Amino acid sequence: MADDDKWGIAHVHASFNNTVMTVTDLTGAETIAKSSGGTAVKQNRDEASPYAAMQMAESIADEIKAAGITGLHVRVRGPGGNLQKSPGPGAQATIRALARAGLEIGRIEDVTPIPHDGSRAPKGKGGY
Amino acid sequence: MRIAITGTPGTGKTTATTILEGRLEDYDVIYLNDLLEREGLYTSVDEERDSKVADLDALEERLAERDDVLVESHLSHHLPADRVAVLRCAPEVLEKRLRERGERTDKAHENAESEALDVILSEAVDHHGLESVYEIDTTDREPTEVADELEAVVRGTRAPSAGEVDFVGYLT
Ligand SMILES: Nc1ncnc2c1ncn2[C@@H]1O[C@H](COP(=O)(O)OP(=O)(O)O)[C@@H](O)[C@H]1O
Ligand SMILES: [Mg+2]
Repeated sequence: MADDDKWGIAHVHASFNNTVMTVTDLTGAETIAKSSGGTAVKQNRDEASPYAAMQMAESIADEIKAAGITGLHVRVRGPGGNLQKSPGPGAQATIRALARAGLEIGRIEDVTPIPHDGSRAPKGKGGY
Repeated sequence: MRIAITGTPGTGKTTATTILEGRLEDYDVIYLNDLLEREGLYTSVDEERDSKVADLDALEERLAERDDVLVESHLSHHLPADRVAVLRCAPEVLEKRLRERGERTDKAHENAESEALDVILSEAVDHHGLESVYEIDTTDREPTEVADELEAVVRGTRAPSAGEVDFVGYLT
């Protein structure tokens, strides 16, 4: 890694029909860029979700690069992480689009929250 | 007919189901968390979350013979069901409800994040398909109104729905 490489963290939030991303410095304290969200067309969610996520990532890639960021670690939060297809389609499309825009991709972490109230479902296994 | 009543903790499942229980003669209600506790149907304990990790296979087997039941729990969509009602609540409001119920800040927050990301809705659609999922927004509704919606799901007078709320703004 060269001295002039500057890394950030992309926080990708992939919900049922929306994907939003915030890019921060490595401490997570300073926000460098923030997407307004890629909302899927409801009628065709399966196709629309990755496409909207990709557009969202492309639209803020320039902003990220203008801030001098050359590489991103990715923290994905989203239901995709709890199911087999980890991370979800919106998250995958986002990461691919960032890489295509010339950003180096480092660690990809799944930090999907787990609903719990004294009980919780086992991780990774969707059950029925 | 077996109906799952699920939703992130704090969406009001137990409150609404208890109201509905008194109105339905043909259905028994199974409060899955009670069953899990009573019969030890879990595989381990998540110390960090102070939560028992459900043994879903054991729960499924335990309920195998039961028909005409409402199964209430945020785990219920992990089991076979004919219809799945998913209760929803704006994350800010849900967090407040959980704090007022006496939950720890970190627990309330992780559940609010789960709700913002549609974790349970997505699992429900993934396991059961869009045609079996009935999303019910409880944010500005009284428990009796939520019970009305649930009753409509049970009686088959409501159409399936999913993804009509967008709570992702809570996270950014
Ligand atoms: N429709 C509602 N509006 C406002 N508060 C509610 C509503 N339903 C439940 N509550 C309150 O929110 C908290 C969580 O409700 P509860 O039924 O225990 O949720 P769950 O079983 O889904 O975890 C309780 O303190 C309850 O009194
Ligand atoms: Mg409850």
